[in-house]
Amino acid sequence: MATHIIGLFHGPDSALAAAGKLRGAGLPTPELQSPVPIEGVEEVLGVKKAVIKRFTFFGGLIGAASGFLLAAGTAVLWAHPTGGRPIITIPPFLIITYELTILFGILATVLGFLISARLPAIRERIYVPEAAVDKFAVIVACDDDEHRGRAEAILREAGAEEVRASMEQS
Amino acid sequence: MDKLQYADVNRDVVRSLVETGPRYYTALFIAIGVTLACFFFPWFYQLYYGIGAAGMNHPAVWGTYLASFIFWIGLSHSGTLLSCVLHLTNSEWRKAMYRSAEAMTLFSLMVAATMVLVHVGRPWFVHWTMPYPNQMELWPNFRSPLLFDVMAVATYLTGSSIFIYMGAIPDFAAVRDRTSGWRRHMYVLLSLGWRGTDKQWHRLGWAYTFLAVLIIPLAVSVHSIVSWDFAMSIVPALHQTIFAPYFVVGAIYSGTAGIVTVMFVLRKYMNFEQYITRVHFDNLGKLMLVLSLIWTYINILEVFTGWYSGTSTELEAMKYKMFGYYAPLYWEMIAFCAVAPLLLISKRFRTSFVPMLILSVAVNIGMYTERFLIVTTSLSRQYLPDAWGLYVPSLVEVSILIGSLALFTTLFLIFVKIFPSVSIYEVKETMATPNRRPSEEGVPQWQPTS
Repeated sequence: MATHIIGLFHGPDSALAAAGKLRGAGLPTPELQSPVPIEGVEEVLGVKKAVIKRFTFFGGLIGAASGFLLAAGTAVLWAHPTGGRPIITIPPFLIITYELTILFGILATVLGFLISARLPAIRERIYVPEAAVDKFAVIVACDDDEHRGRAEAILREAGAEEVRASMEQS
Repeated sequence: MDKLQYADVNRDVVRSLVETGPRYYTALFIAIGVTLACFFFPWFYQLYYGIGAAGMNHPAVWGTYLASFIFWIGLSHSGTLLSCVLHLTNSEWRKAMYRSAEAMTLFSLMVAATMVLVHVGRPWFVHWTMPYPNQMELWPNFRSPLLFDVMAVATYLTGSSIFIYMGAIPDFAAVRDRTSGWRRHMYVLLSLGWRGTDKQWHRLGWAYTFLAVLIIPLAVSVHSIVSWDFAMSIVPALHQTIFAPYFVVGAIYSGTAGIVTVMFVLRKYMNFEQYITRVHFDNLGKLMLVLSLIWTYINILEVFTGWYSGTSTELEAMKYKMFGYYAPLYWEMIAFCAVAPLLLISKRFRTSFVPMLILSVAVNIGMYTERFLIVTTSLSRQYLPDAWGLYVPSLVEVSILIGSLALFTTLFLIFVKIFPSVSIYEVKETMATPNRRPSEEGVPQWQPTS
């Protein structure tokens, strides 16, 4: 059972500074919880990869293919010749293609978001309710007392208003 | 806004959700009553006695139902503009109001879709517009702009509901912690277990931006396609290439005016004075001014194209529109949408709340008239004089028009009690980093450490 040390900060800058120090001290990469997105997290905690763009791209691609196939396939299977015009008419079918590209792109983006942000949360995780209001929380997982002590010291030194420990069910 | 603290935002928004006075219930009760009496009752009457209950007849087979459809779809474009375009251009002032604008998008789309159901005689066959395998071996004709419409509106409805929901997840989480009872259960489900970790914010930021990028071209395509419903016919005065941009500009124009109306009401009756300020009205006013100028330009161009074509049918259609039976409506539209908005040049006008409200309502009356004229003046006078006729809306149609406004109001009133109508986290982003009041509790002010 790992203990989590939680430090509550008043502002994003001190929280970020504390997170950077924790990481520098060889402790596991801390997690931040905040009421607003914090600018400059990536400089402190490392660059995050956005996998969502792949979802969006391939979703759009699948949408484009299925949109065109839907319109063209319908036209070919239920052929309705009008005045010698082509059965597969490109301009109107491109509109269907366009709409379905966007529809599938949107749905895939949502899927990508839910998967990569681990939502909906099935398992209970550490949550700091104050971080939804006006506190910036730095959370670090500690395996033993030595780590715990160091983390607490670093957090207090960085100006945490409150430091507390939390047990995680695992 | 400087005096506000982070905690105040949570408190104010939660208050707007849970504290409900008698005024709200009265408004809701009236809205539901009017919806039932003026929208659903006449609709059932029309379903029972047949579509003849409406005033649509040969040659004018389109009436206020379709005018309302275009109007409501148009109104929906504002939310998209405010939310997506201003999100991508990083406009700070958008943040206090975009949630309500998005709600406007969603609900006007719903009302628009309902108007189509009212317009078609047998709405119970509406699923025939969807491509699905069936025993009739009947498939939709994808060459028809009406089918484009089905696709576009369905995509837009899906996209904008996802967009408004996704942007609200962090707010649901914030509200979840402060409510109890059935509300808490609801927000626990809606917030999906959001915790506000750095990773989650990062993912949300990306997903939200991608959605914004996807939805802007979608919105443009939706109203272009609605315009093609008309422009792809060979009816004089409708068969014009300018129609797509004309509709898109008109849509954004009436939508922006709609936002001004909604913001006024929210500000006044939901006590959001500190969040929705003169700055917002000033910026919205500038936007409306630009849009009204573009709209006027396109209108002049439309007349010019008709005249320059030199064909008798086009000239007749132009003459009829400007000096015929419906001419008073035409000049009312010009007065409300082209002349009156010139007042917005004055900053004093833009920052006065009540004049802005009056102007925004006038603009939307004018824009409704525009849609009415597009539908009626064209069909009642095409080609052969012996096929000419007049269209006058029946009582059922007028009632359903009023009812559609009530339906929209009902949906919006329910929305403001479920969705945080001001975005909690985005308003916080516009505020300075938190520093407590040097306050009663004697807590020291926060000093930046870096």
